[in-house]
Amino acid sequence: MTHHCARLSLLLLFVAAPIRLHAQQPNTSTASNPVRRQSGGAIQAQQGATGADWPSHGGTHLSWRYSALNQISTANVKKMVPVWTFQTGDYSDGLETTPIAIDGVVYISTAYSNVFALDGATGKLIWQYKYLASSQTMGGGLKNNRGVAVASGKVFVGGRDGYLVALDQKTGHEVWKVNPGGNISAAPLIVKDKVIVGGRASRGHVSAYNVDTGRLEWRFYAVPGAGEKGNETWEGDSWRYGGGYPWTTGSYDPELNLVYWGTGDASPPFNGTHRQGIDLYGNCVLALGADTGALRWYYQEIPHDTWDYDATWEMVLMDREVRGRMRKLLVQASKSGFTFILDRETGEVLGTYPYVENINWVKTITQNGGLVGRHDVLEEEPPWNVCPSNLGGKSWNEIAYSPNTGLIYIPALELCNHILLRQARSGDRGGGTWVFKEPPGHDSAYSHLDAIDPVTGKRQWSYPYKFELFASILATAGDLVLTGDPEGYFFALDARTGKKLWNFQTGVPNRGSPVTYMAGGRQYIATPSGWTVVGDMTRGVWPETETWRVASTLTVFALPEESK
Amino acid sequence: MTKTLNLVGIVLILFTAGFARAQQSPQDQVKHGEEVFSATCTGFCHGDKGTEGGGAPRLAGRGLNAQYIEKVVNYGMPGTQMPAWALRLPQNDTNAVVAYVKSLNGIISSGNAGRPPVLSQEAAHGRDLFFDVTYDLRRCSNCHEVGGSGVSVATIAHIPADVPALRNLVMSQVQTATENGKTFPAVVSEQVKEETRVYDLTAVLPVLRVFAPSAIKFTNGNSWQHSLAIKAYSDEELKAIL
Repeated sequence: MTHHCARLSLLLLFVAAPIRLHAQQPNTSTASNPVRRQSGGAIQAQQGATGADWPSHGGTHLSWRYSALNQISTANVKKMVPVWTFQTGDYSDGLETTPIAIDGVVYISTAYSNVFALDGATGKLIWQYKYLASSQTMGGGLKNNRGVAVASGKVFVGGRDGYLVALDQKTGHEVWKVNPGGNISAAPLIVKDKVIVGGRASRGHVSAYNVDTGRLEWRFYAVPGAGEKGNETWEGDSWRYGGGYPWTTGSYDPELNLVYWGTGDASPPFNGTHRQGIDLYGNCVLALGADTGALRWYYQEIPHDTWDYDATWEMVLMDREVRGRMRKLLVQASKSGFTFILDRETGEVLGTYPYVENINWVKTITQNGGLVGRHDVLEEEPPWNVCPSNLGGKSWNEIAYSPNTGLIYIPALELCNHILLRQARSGDRGGGTWVFKEPPGHDSAYSHLDAIDPVTGKRQWSYPYKFELFASILATAGDLVLTGDPEGYFFALDARTGKKLWNFQTGVPNRGSPVTYMAGGRQYIATPSGWTVVGDMTRGVWPETETWRVASTLTVFALPEESK
Repeated sequence: MTKTLNLVGIVLILFTAGFARAQQSPQDQVKHGEEVFSATCTGFCHGDKGTEGGGAPRLAGRGLNAQYIEKVVNYGMPGTQMPAWALRLPQNDTNAVVAYVKSLNGIISSGNAGRPPVLSQEAAHGRDLFFDVTYDLRRCSNCHEVGGSGVSVATIAHIPADVPALRNLVMSQVQTATENGKTFPAVVSEQVKEETRVYDLTAVLPVLRVFAPSAIKFTNGNSWQHSLAIKAYSDEELKAIL
């Protein structure tokens, strides 16, 4: 199979194109060049750290989930206390949001895409917006929403019925709404005058809309239509069954003016019997021109996926030295259990390494991305224990990158599954479902939060945990790594040693993305909590899940006033 | 992974785990909506099955706009006895009521609420084409709602006689809107004292935009053409859709 898909012609196009610098950088207003240049120049200072605000889903466009704030640090985190909580009332499916914080106001979205604007210092409600979803499409399946985007005086949120809605940032009143089709659970990404969002329409697509008018500016289909390049990689008309859903949030390099987005597997998932071929652009990292949506390069991590290993996880953009040469990297701890290191200018694979301990869908992946000894899920073979599970080597909860330590922090999940294929019947191409299992040779599934050198994969420390770690990671210049667990604890580790320094019982499991921001000169750390249906599904391997509860709570911490 | 969680998968897994959350088919939802409607909305205000009742208006057969129904059910009608049900009922109940009220007007008559009509093979093909995802930006359902699916930019008031008539349909409701000196083709969705909602037809996907009434002006007529909006369909396909 072909694995490296960066095309020469596109590369030449790129090289010939002028590199544009944009004035509109992520907001780092209180961080005065917070990123230290490390000895030997191995880590280049970048605008990837947040400051007073948490302006974008991944913190900044580079998706580091790292803040330059250091009022709260390893030295004083023990004193940190909760200062306010907010209950959204939309509790049935948890709270998976990444709060956005701008000028001391926190914006969150709930599972049903209700939006709240809260005073970041007090939790006082400023306004709320109830998302009026089409009743028929809200009737079944998963309900979740992972956050809003804020720009141009507006707050943008997607919904399960496929609408993208722009709200007035000051009042929460609707300004415009458009229906791209499918459904949208991901937070949108703002790039200049566009709001870009991926969704689960039948043919997955990434679409850009004008922030002021809602007018469609460009669309890139993850599944090319008849006659379009890439369509020939699908068997017959199997492309009509779609897939390739870009169902998470992308990243953006303002210097290269490229938007990066990951795509999911082809449909039907698991059962590839009737969609032979490599199924482009399924399981790809896409590099799209931010102004036009034109494909600059793509890299397909897994051609013809039969395990449900989407390439949709977050893409962390960093500049690091690789084999003696400074490179512009895109680092993705992928669902497959492997981390892929790509050159984000060209799509060239610079390295791969496993970040989980139990992998058997492939013997290995070479340093240039070649799959060696793949073991596909096939109709003619009885179900076997595939590792990692279709939740991935980690779930969608996002990693963090600290330029202070030079490490990434990955919430790895050691969970496997039997995939039960369903053969095609009239009107479809088959499909499958799954049952979670412990990894072979283990009595139980387990997790570990690891600090890893993003380039080499060398593990610096590991924090073991007996259940799933389903919350995103936050790293700060106070050398803290913060996340939550399903037993309800939100906790802080020393970013350099992994030593637990502090924890707080939020009362319900953590399945969201913590952030930090400033308001009135005080640093706050906010974390969502509340359990989800996906968490309930792991009850087969972790019976304790039965005691974990739904909720939709934002808990916000700070140092006591006298300590800050 | 999320995309794989189709209904079948979810149900299987949840049963495997000994756990199930309620799932409703559209038909069940309409039925549930009728139950909630009967228990909550009739008696004092609305009549049974959306007929005229004790002071509240008739709902059945009025061709009420879907967004309008959702807004009124959830936020109420200021200045009347119609309360904001979003604050009083669980969302699955309000969603069900919205589905039920929708079923009382438009294509599905009140007498057939919740019962999808039996379609001929060609009509079923036409229905599929109407919503066909492979046409995506050029499919009918981007601007028209049938059976609760699609975007209700323009109500289908009558069925054109043939394919040429469908292609050359004169859309008198498309006006020219002017905002800040810029014009765009627009269909007014709702005009109330506080705001004007219009569908902006500039881009291939209609955008519902909200303006202060003083911020937007309209003049009759526009060069927007229905034939361009449906150009992706062949004559045979349009025949099936009709």
